[in-house]
Amino acid sequence: MTAPAVEIRFADARRPEDATHVRLDVFDGPIALLLSLIEQRQLDVLTVKLGDLAGAYLDAIARIEGGRLPLLSSFVTVCSQLILIKSRALLPRAPAPLVIADGDAAEVDPEEELRRRLIEYRLYRDAGRALAERLSLGVALFHREQGVAVAAGRAGARPELSAKLDPQLLADALAASVRLVPPAPPPAETVARSVTLEERAAVIRRALLVAPKLVLQELLRDVHDRIVIAVTFLALLELAKGREVTIEQSEPWGPISVRTRAGSANGRAVHGR
Amino acid sequence: MADETLVPVGPGTTDPLDPTDSFPTPLPSLGLTVEQLEALLFVAERPLSRREIGSLSGVDREAVDSLLGDLEVTLRERGIRVTTAGDSVQLATSPDAGALIARYIGSDGVRLSPAALETLAIVAYRQPVTRGVIERIRGVDSDYVVRSLLHRRLIVEHGRADTPGRPILYGTGFDFLERFGLTSLDDLPALEAEAAMRLSE
Repeated sequence: MTAPAVEIRFADARRPEDATHVRLDVFDGPIALLLSLIEQRQLDVLTVKLGDLAGAYLDAIARIEGGRLPLLSSFVTVCSQLILIKSRALLPRAPAPLVIADGDAAEVDPEEELRRRLIEYRLYRDAGRALAERLSLGVALFHREQGVAVAAGRAGARPELSAKLDPQLLADALAASVRLVPPAPPPAETVARSVTLEERAAVIRRALLVAPKLVLQELLRDVHDRIVIAVTFLALLELAKGREVTIEQSEPWGPISVRTRAGSANGRAVHGR
Repeated sequence: MADETLVPVGPGTTDPLDPTDSFPTPLPSLGLTVEQLEALLFVAERPLSRREIGSLSGVDREAVDSLLGDLEVTLRERGIRVTTAGDSVQLATSPDAGALIARYIGSDGVRLSPAALETLAIVAYRQPVTRGVIERIRGVDSDYVVRSLLHRRLIVEHGRADTPGRPILYGTGFDFLERFGLTSLDDLPALEAEAAMRLSE
């Protein structure tokens, strides 16, 4: 390929209609790429010799980043069509060169077929752009949101055709309402037992007085209250922060062993709730 | 009905054996004026099908159609429009009021990628259309972009095609029309005539 190197300019357009922006991501397909190559050269889709673009197209897809092979296959299909078109153009035109002789299905000229796809694609791409312009005009319509009327309909507010409501019913209902049993008073508030850090720190200290080392899980073996467990753990962290104890855990979820730190004043206060 | 004799069914009577008759008595026809139709659409706050309007008021399909046409003309001078999608109609604000209402509601404009726009254009102009047709035109897998448009309700499912695999057909609904300020699909900007003609050859 001796064609000049293709310059694909990214997001370089001044006006959307002559954008040469070539984005090769999952959204822009092989037809979009071919069309943008044509437009970039200001050629006419209706008349351009598509075979001449084979080189530029190859160059362009060579720039698609690696790791996008599944996507690349659709580009390669168009590429092979371009090469076929180009090679046919080079050959002297024989009468009906590659007629597929199955019934009445005459062979479709691959160039015309591809051109047709380009035109079709461009048609909808441009229609999409025209739609986008409408979006920026502020011409959106709004409807009333479903609300009261629908709720009323669901509640059976269909106009009653036979029985009319007697206003006396309303008065009776009001009279009946005063005879209603008043609601039971709410239950007395239950106050949760409070657990303090101080309290739990004392438990740890006491345990460390009788043994040089304790395992937290063993200390809490008979405790089932999650709050107590959590506060004990916090108290332990406080003790470690106050340099009273050292904590060791060799593996996640493993035993947490606690030792008195040498020379620490065992009676130091732990502040907290 | 132990003796299995047929009971004549007419206005005011119902066939107790007919399970499709959900109302105890058929509603007597009320007739319908343009003003009543406007009032009905105003309070409905959702799209109503022509059939629904007909059965509520007791007038036939042709009458509903012509009343809707009259209402459309009447409303042209006003801030309200009749929008039409398929068999259903709804009241919506006029395009001229779009910016104002958007400001009142605090709604942001919708932002669409080029891929979403061209896919939306294919669905809008060729509906009902399958994902296969969309992908043939775009030449690229369109699963993601179709799902994203569905999610934003800019396209809706319109049943299934009667072809092998019974693929889902996509079309547009009221949300699409409203977003783009169209009262019906007839308002869609015309496609480029030359290209459209070439394709239909």
